[in-house]
Amino acid sequence: MQALTDNALMLKVKSGDMDKMGLLYERHKKRLFGFFYHMNGNASLSEDLVQNVFVRILKYKHTFTGQGSFSAWMFRTARNVNYDHFRKHSKECRPTEISTLEYRLQDADAGSVMDYDDTVSLVNRALQRLSPEKREVLILSKYKAMKYSEIGSVLGCSEGAAKVKAHRAIKDLRTIFLQMENS
Amino acid sequence: MENFEIQAITYLSGELQGKERLAFEKFLEDHPQFQEQFQELSYTWNQMDQITTPEPSKGMDNRFYKMLSQEREKNARKSGLQAMLASFTSMLRPVMRPQLAYGMLLLVLGLGLGYYLNPGKTQETDGAQVVQSAETEEVREKLVLTLLEQPSANQRLQGVSEANKFGKVDEKIIEALLQTLNNDPNVNVRLAAVEALTQYVDNPVVREGLVQSIVQQESAIMQVTLANLMVALQEKKSIEPFKKLIRTKEVDGKVKQKLKSSIESII
Repeated sequence: MQALTDNALMLKVKSGDMDKMGLLYERHKKRLFGFFYHMNGNASLSEDLVQNVFVRILKYKHTFTGQGSFSAWMFRTARNVNYDHFRKHSKECRPTEISTLEYRLQDADAGSVMDYDDTVSLVNRALQRLSPEKREVLILSKYKAMKYSEIGSVLGCSEGAAKVKAHRAIKDLRTIFLQMENS
Repeated sequence: MENFEIQAITYLSGELQGKERLAFEKFLEDHPQFQEQFQELSYTWNQMDQITTPEPSKGMDNRFYKMLSQEREKNARKSGLQAMLASFTSMLRPVMRPQLAYGMLLLVLGLGLGYYLNPGKTQETDGAQVVQSAETEEVREKLVLTLLEQPSANQRLQGVSEANKFGKVDEKIIEALLQTLNNDPNVNVRLAAVEALTQYVDNPVVREGLVQSIVQQESAIMQVTLANLMVALQEKKSIEPFKKLIRTKEVDGKVKQKLKSSIESII
């Protein structure tokens, strides 16, 4: 129902009713921000990328046909925005990509903190060590509550292939956990 | 199990429902090695729940709504322009219909061709008109001369009236008219000839001809008409012919009186 409504709203935006864009933004801003934040661990950069997604949605609104779900279309755009950003800033991105998170996590490590915080930092760091392709499939599945049929549509592959990717990503993540715990 | 990877992920994400879910759980119970794999996956999957996501700042909202309002203004400007363009196009639409366009094209072509050919044609036409009118005069002259020689009084009258239509009269015509004036048996024709000649009284030949014609007129009406004309022209040369008429016995008494008064008016 939500997807249908999203599609209807986006079709209105397409026909020139720009006010509906605000509604879509309110509905999806946190999901998008979370996606970018988990991808790059940088809150400020993630906010900029959310903005870029909506700029791009407005620019390419004529390409929205209403055939698939708006969420899938939006995350496809988000994925492209993320990819373009890191391609442009490939030299500088590696340190900044995880800078906010890493610094904060390092600070947290420095102070003697609770086990809970340790676990959170461990998960965060492990996630950041995953390759972007594997990270994104886990983020879309775990944090964005997307169905695998939609994830397949975002990633440009079949539902089954998306599940296999997710399975391998979890296995890799576990390996990274174990490495970090042992180090 | 062939699709263990797929089934495990489907199970973990909560997409596996009903009988399939139970079947997968049963499969795990029956296959300890897969159960172990699944537990590892499940543990890692659940560990991921511990990650929290911060809230985006208010600044993100501000930037978005600023961008949206700019975009809205741009759109309004564009739609204003589009509306102008659309109204202009709708104004042009009837003109752009093929039939009308062809019509306009033909009209323009015709005008262009006409303009291109016009100056030369006009000169030619002027020349042709001159030639044509010269030819017409010649034909009419011949016609007048022929008509004046016809036995029918009607045709001769027609000839005289044709002679009236000349802008500049030819000597031949004047001669023919004077001939008619003096010799035509029909008085109406002679009267018409006087009338026709009246137009050319500035011509000395005509004046002379009219004066000389006085003595040759036997009809009273002709004598009176000529007398009136001479008075109007104040032609002193006519006095002598009039006196000669007065002396003639055949002339009517009243006509003689008229002639006398005419002579007096001329003097």
